[in-house]
Amino acid sequence: MASETPLLAKLDALIADVLADWNIYSTVIAGSIVAFLIFSFITSKDPDIHPFLLARQSTETFVRQPGESAPFRSLETPYGFPLRSGLNVRDPGTPKWSAGRKGDLRDVWKTAVRGAVNEDGSLSGKQSKIYTVLGRKAIEHSLDQITQEINVIGHHLQAAQAKTVAVCLTDSVELLASIFAGAFYGFRVVIVPHNLEPQILSTHLQKVQAEALIAEAGALDLSTVAKGNKRLSQVVWVAKLGSRHMDWNEVPADVKDTLSVTVWHELVDEKRDLAGLEVPTYDPKSPSPGMTTVWPSSSSEGKFIDFEPENLVAAIGALNSTLPGAQRFDSNDLVLSIDSLSRSYPLCQVLRALYANASVALNSVAGESVDFALATVGVSPTVIVASSRTMSDYHSKVMKPHTGLISSITHWFQARKLDAGNMPSHGLLNQVGNMGPTSELSFDKLRLICISHRCDADKDIRLTSEQLTDLRIFTGARVVYALTGPGVAGAVAQTNVFDYRRFEGASHFGSPLSSAEILLTSAADDQQDRVVEGQITAAGPAVVSGKTTLPAQGRFRQDNTLELVS
Amino acid sequence: MSAAEEPVPSPTEAIPFFTPVNFILLSVFAVFLYVQLRPKAPVTLPQGPPPVVFRTFIPSTLIEFNGEGEKPCYLAVRGRVFDVTPGKSFYGPGGPYENFAGRDASRGLAFQSFDREMLTEDLKAPLDDLKDLSADQLENLQNWEERFLEKYLVVGKLVAEGDPEAPKS
Repeated sequence: MASETPLLAKLDALIADVLADWNIYSTVIAGSIVAFLIFSFITSKDPDIHPFLLARQSTETFVRQPGESAPFRSLETPYGFPLRSGLNVRDPGTPKWSAGRKGDLRDVWKTAVRGAVNEDGSLSGKQSKIYTVLGRKAIEHSLDQITQEINVIGHHLQAAQAKTVAVCLTDSVELLASIFAGAFYGFRVVIVPHNLEPQILSTHLQKVQAEALIAEAGALDLSTVAKGNKRLSQVVWVAKLGSRHMDWNEVPADVKDTLSVTVWHELVDEKRDLAGLEVPTYDPKSPSPGMTTVWPSSSSEGKFIDFEPENLVAAIGALNSTLPGAQRFDSNDLVLSIDSLSRSYPLCQVLRALYANASVALNSVAGESVDFALATVGVSPTVIVASSRTMSDYHSKVMKPHTGLISSITHWFQARKLDAGNMPSHGLLNQVGNMGPTSELSFDKLRLICISHRCDADKDIRLTSEQLTDLRIFTGARVVYALTGPGVAGAVAQTNVFDYRRFEGASHFGSPLSSAEILLTSAADDQQDRVVEGQITAAGPAVVSGKTTLPAQGRFRQDNTLELVS
Repeated sequence: MSAAEEPVPSPTEAIPFFTPVNFILLSVFAVFLYVQLRPKAPVTLPQGPPPVVFRTFIPSTLIEFNGEGEKPCYLAVRGRVFDVTPGKSFYGPGGPYENFAGRDASRGLAFQSFDREMLTEDLKAPLDDLKDLSADQLENLQNWEERFLEKYLVVGKLVAEGDPEAPKS
């Protein structure tokens, strides 16, 4: 004890000595420390999602086959639970606690026309709208009007006994109407990409044995297309607004005997009163026909994917449930698709938006590679569906070069915020940050961007974590990034909407959707603990014929998210 | 401290900035700033145990997995091998069902009997075909099987020795 007293005294003297120098600067510095601490305490928020949920995003099954990894599943449907297989439709009058039906496309349209429901289950009478964006103009269509077109076209093709109808249109209400007409009136719709050479289109039509064709007036040479397509007997032209005054009923002489040509808007005008505004009644138990889309493969031919209605509804249901409640589409949303509806991810997102009573905007230029800035000017969407190529082009050509000093500084602060797990708000800081790259665009209401990447697409257009972060910061919207594959409706895997983590290099694709499980097959399984890398195989209700192997090599990272390798 | 040595200090210059106390305060500020703004690595969780590889067993390889010592405890029901290690106190050594460990337990479960007679003692013999079971006994077995499927993992299948599916070595 004796030695302690002088030590304490010395310490006391030292502190007194140091504090003796306290002056106005010290007060200022101490004040700023306190202010800084109070500021960071007030502004600190809980991250949007618990970090542990991002640290392990899917569950690995406990048993695996030799030569394969264990199947990975979404956290919603772990091993032992059935994968999501539908929309869980509850018809009025069914017992409250009974399981819902899987549903099909007819239920999607019926729900869309019914309009949004209030929380107590009563109808709010608020129906969504469909817009077609033409340049800077957006044309509004009411759902009742489209129901009418569905009925007219459905009746017309049913009367012509068409079982397979090829639709070769840009994204438009007519394309949507044809899809639903197929579901209600029992014909299989084949969505053919619209910008094909006549020769390729002709072979496509032969392959699917199409009996009817719905195409844009003037875009095709009928003689070439009809040649060798003996089954083709009906052609419905869809004339653009500007060219409706022309007579499209003319048929080239060489195919006059075999083809009957009608024009969409004339047909609708003519039979409007006969068809009625009601959604056709149907027996939910009766099967509805499937839908075929073309998966663009490296050869120009493309590969036909025959989706059954079960695949589509499983994908729609899973795409919906993968987002947490507040992030899901609802009747206040306007979903703009700038990716072609002939691809299953945008198609499923649009169908899901209709099912959720959200409004939909379609763009006639939509496709895999479009100018993001141009394609989004006509409307002010809350959700944008785009392809990885579009976003990657936009990032490298516009966003990156136009980032100035001020935006770089705000970018730095916002990136810190994202790292902490919080989405920066549409605040003042954001406005300043937006002065650079995206200022000319109408993103005030934008809250979500859904980006899909084809698993066999170019390696260069895979988005990196940095690019996704830039998109989040400069558009002020959350981003989900999905991997799509041939034979899988919707997506194979999709990132968590709250996953803002940044890593080196290309971004991962999150966890499998709840409608399919993923496993990796590898020849190099020498009884090691795990197969971590291999060819991606997806299985589940969203997969055509139950199981398919994708032409891509994948790897599950340590946080159980899927990424592409090589 | 050094301020006193300056010749003609004007009132503002008289207050020195670089004093020890200011230095200490600035360092504290810097530390707080760094802690707030440093790049934080995302949280990682340790990986779970590696998945079990699905195997095809024959009775003489299944018998190894009787739960003795550190070994896992398996039993087979109608050709399906269940990993019952979580229920080792029942199915493992010393438990009431210990006779079933590493064995084809189908007949025993159907008869609700844990006796040795219920087991196929000869490991090289073909699997028990259970043809002589009554409807009640089959239902009994069915119930057991469903319970096992709910509770335990299927880690393999059991085939008789010499079966075309049996592993070669």
